[in-house]
Amino acid sequence: MQNELQQLEARGDRLTHYELLGVSADADGGTIRRAYLEKSKRFHPDAWYRKETGRFGPLLSKWFQRLSSAYQILSDEESRAAYDSDHRTELSQTDRAALDRRELSRAEEERRARERRERMLRTKGFARIGAARKLYEEGQEYALNGERTQAIFALKAARELDPNRKEIVTKLVELEREQSRARANSALASGREREERRRFAEAITAYAAAFQNDPGSFAAAMGAARCAMESSDARAATIWASRAVELNPEDAGARMMLSRLFLSAGMKARARTELGALLSKNPDHKEAKALLRTL
Amino acid sequence: MGELVIGIDLGTTNSVCATVQNGTPTVISNRTGYRITPSVVAMARNGKRLVGALARRQAVTNPERTVVAVKRLMGRRWSAKTTQEAIQRMPYSVVAGPHDDVRISLGEQQYSPPEISAMVLTELRLDAEAFFGAPVTKAVITCPAYFNDSQRNATKDAGRIAGLEVIRIINEPTSAALAYGFGKAQGERQVAVFDLGGGTFDFTVLHMFKGVFEVEATGGDSLLGGEDFDNRIIDFLSEPFRQKHGTDLRKDKMALQRLRDAAEKAKCELSSLKQVEINLPFISASQQAGPLHLQATLSRDQLEQMTADLVKRCMQVCERVLGEAKVHAAQLGDVLLVGGQTRMPKIQEEVRRLFGKEPAKNVNPDEAVALGASIQGAMLLHDEQEMLLLDVTPHSLGIAIAGGFFQKIIAKNTTVPTSAHHVFTTVKDDQTSAKITVLQGESETSADNELLGEFMLTGLRAAPRGAVDIDVIFDISADGIVSVSAIDMQTGTRQSITVTASSGLTEDEIKKAARSNEDWMLGQKEDPEFQDRKNRAEELFREFETLWPRLTRAAHNGLGQEPLQRAQAALSVARLQLAQRESDALAGSLERLERMLQALRGALERSQGGA
Ligand SMILES: Nc1ncnc2c1ncn2[C@@H]1O[C@H](COP(=O)(O)OP(=O)(O)O)[C@@H](O)[C@H]1O
Ligand SMILES: [Mg+2]
Repeated sequence: MQNELQQLEARGDRLTHYELLGVSADADGGTIRRAYLEKSKRFHPDAWYRKETGRFGPLLSKWFQRLSSAYQILSDEESRAAYDSDHRTELSQTDRAALDRRELSRAEEERRARERRERMLRTKGFARIGAARKLYEEGQEYALNGERTQAIFALKAARELDPNRKEIVTKLVELEREQSRARANSALASGREREERRRFAEAITAYAAAFQNDPGSFAAAMGAARCAMESSDARAATIWASRAVELNPEDAGARMMLSRLFLSAGMKARARTELGALLSKNPDHKEAKALLRTL
Repeated sequence: MGELVIGIDLGTTNSVCATVQNGTPTVISNRTGYRITPSVVAMARNGKRLVGALARRQAVTNPERTVVAVKRLMGRRWSAKTTQEAIQRMPYSVVAGPHDDVRISLGEQQYSPPEISAMVLTELRLDAEAFFGAPVTKAVITCPAYFNDSQRNATKDAGRIAGLEVIRIINEPTSAALAYGFGKAQGERQVAVFDLGGGTFDFTVLHMFKGVFEVEATGGDSLLGGEDFDNRIIDFLSEPFRQKHGTDLRKDKMALQRLRDAAEKAKCELSSLKQVEINLPFISASQQAGPLHLQATLSRDQLEQMTADLVKRCMQVCERVLGEAKVHAAQLGDVLLVGGQTRMPKIQEEVRRLFGKEPAKNVNPDEAVALGASIQGAMLLHDEQEMLLLDVTPHSLGIAIAGGFFQKIIAKNTTVPTSAHHVFTTVKDDQTSAKITVLQGESETSADNELLGEFMLTGLRAAPRGAVDIDVIFDISADGIVSVSAIDMQTGTRQSITVTASSGLTEDEIKKAARSNEDWMLGQKEDPEFQDRKNRAEELFREFETLWPRLTRAAHNGLGQEPLQRAQAALSVARLQLAQRESDALAGSLERLERMLQALRGALERSQGGA
């Protein structure tokens, strides 16, 4: 165990989630879960409860947590796909090949499913209802296996065959909502990660994707505004900051940013309005007061 | 066998204590011989503290000084809406405490909910000590999966006040699954735990693989349980009465307590009978008609009709949680029924319908949770089992940010233990302190989430704004309990954090309560005379037990039932006296029992000699 921990420490951040869990990059959900559970048995602090772990104690909890978060990311279709595309270059040769294999077989499977759906969509008359039910069941099956994209395709086809079945539409709406939420979350996370690494252009793309999937995301709008400021794109920054203010009119940070942007664009009146609104909520905001005085 | 450790199911209605003995999880009977102890505490008129069945039995005559369902108040803020709603239904008086917490008034004294719970725990601890014949100081206590940080802390505090080191708080459903999976832990399967107790409903989906139990999703309704079924019966009984006599029995505390008892009894009986009679003589009196009696018949069908919506609510929760866990009801390997209310046939029928299978046998709905807790205790301390629980945090954890918004830092359903951090930057020049408001919940708006506490970051170093970055670290332990620490990122120094608002008891309050509980226990730790009588009583009980099979045979062969019945009556009287520590009365009973034992022995010998 101590050796294992030392090895993990030596590889540190370069270890991919697949390597950490000890699975190949084309492993299916069940394999990933079993690997996680088996590893937990040794890494979970309970396995070491009241035992002398000395300086290895903190390492154990650190690596248990890494293990859990790797599992969490790889166990959701959306976040796994995002992880794969973000970290492709860090994967080993074999894992990259495994990833390609998985994508290939998935594409193949998708193609076959699509063909089958198209065949079914050509069903005529009474049989359409039966075909729709089949597709609906198939969609549910996919959803249960965590394959949301496939599930959505199947349900869309089912809806086309039988537009009046309420449960089809309900399930579809639910899955689509879940999908945007998952997409927004993983885009937001990847935006943050890129921002931290000061890759602002990429971060803006990610934040924009998060915003598109969740138009109520204040965090995404603010993130994009910050990154646009950093890369001196005043126009984009102004648009994003205005969105942020719209979403959370009480946030002093967003208003402050927007006033600065207006000011540097020479739009003094609008800057003044923003500062006024800010100060009416936060009368003691020093920065805002100072900025207003210079105006 | 290592250190002694017990597992406790500290329920809203009932509590159970268990331990792993020689590798077998076993329920510890209480000193009155029952496997279940009602979670009821009362102050008798003579100032004596009563716990369990005794407290419950005198509730009718002493409703204001009898505390039931205190679990509903654990870790609650006085000002919260849910607290005020819960208080409405309590027959005893609940007042505001000093930290926006609640206190229960019993006579002149006021007690915090953890202190009341500690009285139940103390009772169980004494039962366990009687069972082992040795002091017990370590325990695993269970709590509902949805309990937040404050409620878990309150549970832990209760343990400390009772003089127990709570080595772990585990979730009830997980605990039940542990009991179920014990000894058959190898295969891979998914199970669901359906727990309908006295006041709450919990539904959890778990995955089991090679002894590892992973919680996949959990949900429930903390205001749905057996009591709601009782209330329907109470309404059914009192509505016609009100219309006929113009008196609402529900407004009279004493009558209400009698109605409650009768309703619950009828409900439980209807789990095995098709129809019951309810008789409450002298329930009230009127000026004209004199004493009033209540009499009614209730059928199982009627009960099912008037509680159909409650059952439906349970099923809806199940469907929602199954959706979150992404499993089909039919895919589950097993469904475990836990909690007394799952004995209702209608519930079992609906579970069968939804899941398309029989609920698991070999799971005792009253005992599974406590047994699981005892297994967890043994796993931690004696690691005799290759098992592991992977539990999750039931609520998202985050902080309040500008504009009244809530920023999530650790998401719901994250495996515990876990930690996450958040960087605070000073917003003013020479800012020396910052307030962090920590909340749990799923809403985007801070105000809609549960406030865990406010922390002050103090003694920040003087610097221009933005130049001080403080890394605040949030930890959630395997108990699901949150702790916060902070580090100045530029200098690496640890920042002090003080809790400025928490609904919990202070360290001093806990210590003081623990001391007074200890004093009470010492007061109970008897005079040697009582100890002697107690030992003699237990010896006698054992002798009767070994003799019993022969006596029953003899009863059929001419001795007759009468002497046996008399002995049984005397035995239960003695048991009660022992539990109530009525030392002198017990002495009288013991003499009688001894005489009976001698007589019965003689009779047996004679009948054998004659044969
Ligand atoms: N045979 C039965 N039929 C129906 N309900 C029952 C039966 N036995 C117990 N109950 C109910 O179960 C509830 C207590 O369940 P329990 O699991 O002990 O509660 P808790 O977990 O809240 O302490 C009570 O409401 C009680 O009336
Ligand atoms: Mg229970």
